[in-house]
Amino acid sequence: MVFLPDESRSLPPPPLLNKGSVWLGFAGWMSALIDNAFNQRPIFGAGVHRQILLATLGCFVGYHLVKRAEYMHAKVDRELFEYMRHHPVDFQGSG
Amino acid sequence: MAASLRAVRRLGLVAAAPPSLAFTRSAFVAKKADNAQPNWLGVGLAFGTSAALWALLVKQHNEDVKEYERRKQAREHKCRECS
Repeated sequence: MVFLPDESRSLPPPPLLNKGSVWLGFAGWMSALIDNAFNQRPIFGAGVHRQILLATLGCFVGYHLVKRAEYMHAKVDRELFEYMRHHPVDFQGSG
Repeated sequence: MAASLRAVRRLGLVAAAPPSLAFTRSAFVAKKADNAQPNWLGVGLAFGTSAALWALLVKQHNEDVKEYERRKQAREHKCRECS
């Protein structure tokens, strides 16, 4: 199972900082801060390289997850509209 | 003997001696992490990896935008009957 099929590239790509990448980047940063706290280091000032690395990793993973989520939603929408096109009788009431 | 032990305790080196059995692995002989000396290799690798990841992400995003625009143009040129 491919993570991002080729037809997903026909969709408009999400912005670089979208809800997924910002949230997971924030979560990565928080986990670096929590690691500082557990090892009794200064929370914000210690291990800046670690904070940056984990935040970057979160943004990276979040961006690709959002791309896949948008592809899955678009695929389901396409199948739904195809079904509605093939069964117009069932959908007359809403018109 | 007691005086030197007290001096050692003041320096905080009481539990530093490892056990004599060299082949046991024990959590109790872990070294204290020295946060005062930066692990420059780790710092360099972390910053390098972060820079590489950001470059990869921005490149991927720009490629995605270009590919989407290209496919949109191709679709608009191709078929007018299926709208």
